[in-house]
Amino acid sequence: MEINFNTPQRQSSIGIVVMFFDTLRQYIKAFFPLAVIWLVNFDKINKLYLVLGTIAVVLVVGVIAFLKYKNFTFYIHDENEEFIISEGIFNKTITTIQLDKIQQVNINQSLLQRIINVYELEVDTAGGANKEGKIKAVSHALALSLKLRLLENEKKIKVAIVSENPTENGTVITNKPFISISFISLLKVGITSNYLKSFSLLLLFFFTASDYINKFTGHDVFNDGDIENYVSKSTIISSLLIFMLFLFGIVLVINLFRIVVRYFDYKITKQKGSLLLSFGLINTKSTILKPEKVQITTISRNYFQKKMNILEMKIKQATSGEKTKHNAAIDIPGCNQLEKDEILKLLFHKIPQKGYVMRPNFRKIGFSVFLIIVVPLVGFFSIASNVPELMEFAYITPYFVVFAGLILCFGYRNYRLFINNDFIIKQSGAWDISDEIITIEKIQAITTSQLFWHKRLNIGSLTMHTAGGNITFHLGKFDKINEYVNLWLYEIETSNSNWM
Amino acid sequence: MENFTNETIDTANLPKYEEVAFTSLHPNYKKVVLLNVSLLSSILFLGFGSVTFFKNNEFTQNNLIALGSLLALAIVLIFFFSLLSYRKKGFAFRNHDVLFRSGIIATSTMVIPYNRIQHVALHEGLVSRYFGLAKIEIFTAGGNSSDIEIPGIEKLQAEDIKQLLMGKIQKQL
Repeated sequence: MEINFNTPQRQSSIGIVVMFFDTLRQYIKAFFPLAVIWLVNFDKINKLYLVLGTIAVVLVVGVIAFLKYKNFTFYIHDENEEFIISEGIFNKTITTIQLDKIQQVNINQSLLQRIINVYELEVDTAGGANKEGKIKAVSHALALSLKLRLLENEKKIKVAIVSENPTENGTVITNKPFISISFISLLKVGITSNYLKSFSLLLLFFFTASDYINKFTGHDVFNDGDIENYVSKSTIISSLLIFMLFLFGIVLVINLFRIVVRYFDYKITKQKGSLLLSFGLINTKSTILKPEKVQITTISRNYFQKKMNILEMKIKQATSGEKTKHNAAIDIPGCNQLEKDEILKLLFHKIPQKGYVMRPNFRKIGFSVFLIIVVPLVGFFSIASNVPELMEFAYITPYFVVFAGLILCFGYRNYRLFINNDFIIKQSGAWDISDEIITIEKIQAITTSQLFWHKRLNIGSLTMHTAGGNITFHLGKFDKINEYVNLWLYEIETSNSNWM
Repeated sequence: MENFTNETIDTANLPKYEEVAFTSLHPNYKKVVLLNVSLLSSILFLGFGSVTFFKNNEFTQNNLIALGSLLALAIVLIFFFSLLSYRKKGFAFRNHDVLFRSGIIATSTMVIPYNRIQHVALHEGLVSRYFGLAKIEIFTAGGNSSDIEIPGIEKLQAEDIKQLLMGKIQKQL
């Protein structure tokens, strides 16, 4: 059945019902607090008002639903190869999607839609979590035919690709894995990662424990100046210390267990230019990694991991539509230097080199110190000056200052942007030092930003937007940033490179 | 293969995005902004008025005066910053990319190359429509943070720009 989509058309008229309940749901959501008050005072309200009010709401929503239906049209512009949706009553929006940009078209049916026998059609382009075009109520025949028409272009491309490598599924199992991560490596990862999580857990426990002991014994654990209590105090502290170590051990063991269960028997197999990863102890997961879809590759390791020659990789792929939820990032724990290079070679065809180094201005650390140390301290002391009980915790502040200061210092020292002909690498982190690698053709948009008092100082920030997330570098030399932005724009705009 | 050349790019002579002359938003858009802000402040004043009207004994005369002056100050500030923000916004369409500049405290410039645009939408608000203005929304695959919204463009020009962005006509704006 051939349906003509070239003239603007409305949805099925029964679709007003869908619009009605949709609008009703929106309004109920918006006025939910009001509705609650209404329900609570249900007995007190005059029943006549209730009935009249309900009728008024139904009428208003009905009119809005009708207008929404009336103003919603869609059509395909044949010459321009565009799919155009217009909607809105007072605020009108016309969305234009080029047919060759459409990634997938989904036909769904909710319970309500099933009752009145209409279907919902969702048009999805690359990137972005939200559906770009949504038609709420069309007949099945129309939905199918529209889907066919929208995907005509897509199909041509897909057929071409499929004919290039026809034996995609055939030779999977016979391939020998080219990287398999050993149990030892997983153990190493288990004992060296997630320190921050463990540490914060420990800190939390520490404070609850001291509070508990305080209440239980009637003595303050730390601010007890009495000499006769000295012995009991020291035993409490030492027992606390032992307990902390014990807790740290538990956290480590749990961490270890989690990593081993999750990533046991991690195998990476090459398969027609893409990578097949499979892992897991209880249920084996397997995912396919397509090098052309990779957006951001993160390599991270800390001091211990460096000594043990292991590192963790995280790979973010371009997401579109349904895949967004479960397939956004892929972890490769515990590979060594050599294996990392192998994987990088597969992803990028060469090993990314660090080229020009961009360092942040010293104001970056100044600002972080202000934000992380000065503001909380001022806040603490201004509250504590009014609440004397809080002052007892003042002894913590020097430790906090030293600890936070150290982290900020290391963070600042590691904060770098490396730029070379093909790659941009951002290095950051205080303990876990991570390198985020992108290639220039993956950039979707670039934002530069500069505070007005930084103009004279020639410093500013750079954000690169990719389909796998953003990479931001703060307070670099602004003229250098601009120079590179111009170069990247030139490179992106003169080549029609495939970014996914 | 013979006419293939691969010369070194002279990075110093590349077109500079930071030197592009930006077009400011349509003067009518200032009216739209002012109207919207006026609406907001009249709602605020209405709220304040109803508080004064149903005056409980919790509010003393002095309290009310302080509250009122605070409100007035807030409204003046909102007006000031809305106008400043309007003035700071600007856009430019080059042969291969679109630029949008905005921001009061930090000036940020976003650049989207045309070959990275996924789709385009034209949005007309109620007030904007009265003044014959529209907003162009440009979407890329980079998620919400990498989309550009250019408000305050004349409807006809907006249509032209949309066509330009969809790559169907050459630049003739």
